[in-house]
Amino acid sequence: MIPLSWYLVVAFMLIGLGAYGMVTKRNLIRIIIGAEIMANGVNIALVAFSIYTSVFTFTGQALVIIVISVTAAHTALAMALMLMYNARYSTVDLGERVAAEGSKSE
Amino acid sequence: MLMQGLEVLLEQAEFFVIAIVVLGLAYLALEHREITYAVFFFGFMAAAVAGFYILLEAPFLVGIQIAVYTGGISALIIFGVLLLPRAQDSSLEIFQTPRRRRLGLLLSAAVMLLSAVLAFFYPWSELSPVSPPELPQNIQGLAAWLWDSHGIYVEMIALIMLTALVGSVAILKRMKAEELRPLTAESHQEPAGRKDTAGSGSASQPETAGEEKEVGSE
Repeated sequence: MIPLSWYLVVAFMLIGLGAYGMVTKRNLIRIIIGAEIMANGVNIALVAFSIYTSVFTFTGQALVIIVISVTAAHTALAMALMLMYNARYSTVDLGERVAAEGSKSE
Repeated sequence: MLMQGLEVLLEQAEFFVIAIVVLGLAYLALEHREITYAVFFFGFMAAAVAGFYILLEAPFLVGIQIAVYTGGISALIIFGVLLLPRAQDSSLEIFQTPRRRRLGLLLSAAVMLLSAVLAFFYPWSELSPVSPPELPQNIQGLAAWLWDSHGIYVEMIALIMLTALVGSVAILKRMKAEELRPLTAESHQEPAGRKDTAGSGSASQPETAGEEKEVGSE
């Protein structure tokens, strides 16, 4: 039997890794990947909680299906926004844009 | 008794292997220099997460996870990478300053610490897993849960996905329209730029004129 805490530790480590990626990276693609990694961590925690309850219910699994669908939708939207950003600024690097604006103001 | 102990030991070993693979691939997806490899590592990580669902006896989610994450979202991100000529440039991370990296490490350490406190000091560890129903009843039960009493949520998901799809197409259509009327400061200061047929914009003039007609007719 695997304790619930083990699943939670892995889930929270994934959430932490995703947060690290979203904060440190300037590349929009890596920021999207960071968000997806966080969503995976949340899904593991949800399914683990649904299994470790006094009575078996499908609530956790159904919630994960909803989360996966919403994640797929937000990825599609994020990719469209990224293409738009690239068309306007010719880069997907947020830092490059900030540096260009800084040099322009100087 | 011995067999039961061996079974528990094997299950825990499986958990450790899957956890190491998932965390390693997630780290590589964020830190690998080549963006294409990073996306592939993300796809493999998503497939490895399905291993946790097998251990948690949620078979339907295994299929969903592999179909949507590994097959759908990873493919979508790869298409994005291929559409962007500069996305694979490994020098994209040169603006990642040590200060920003330290801030990120601090934030993720805080998240992990808080989560570890929640995971180990709350009496969740005393909970024991309930045995889920057999595979056919499991999937049947999930379908009944979704469609019998919570059909409205399924409809809401469909609506959200449709909105995202239409929104994505609308954003890209708008992008095309804005290519004709750039919103940069230079073009605002110099409205005569549209009349100017010389320069870099002259090559795409016939094309853009055709597109303008299309946009106007819409």
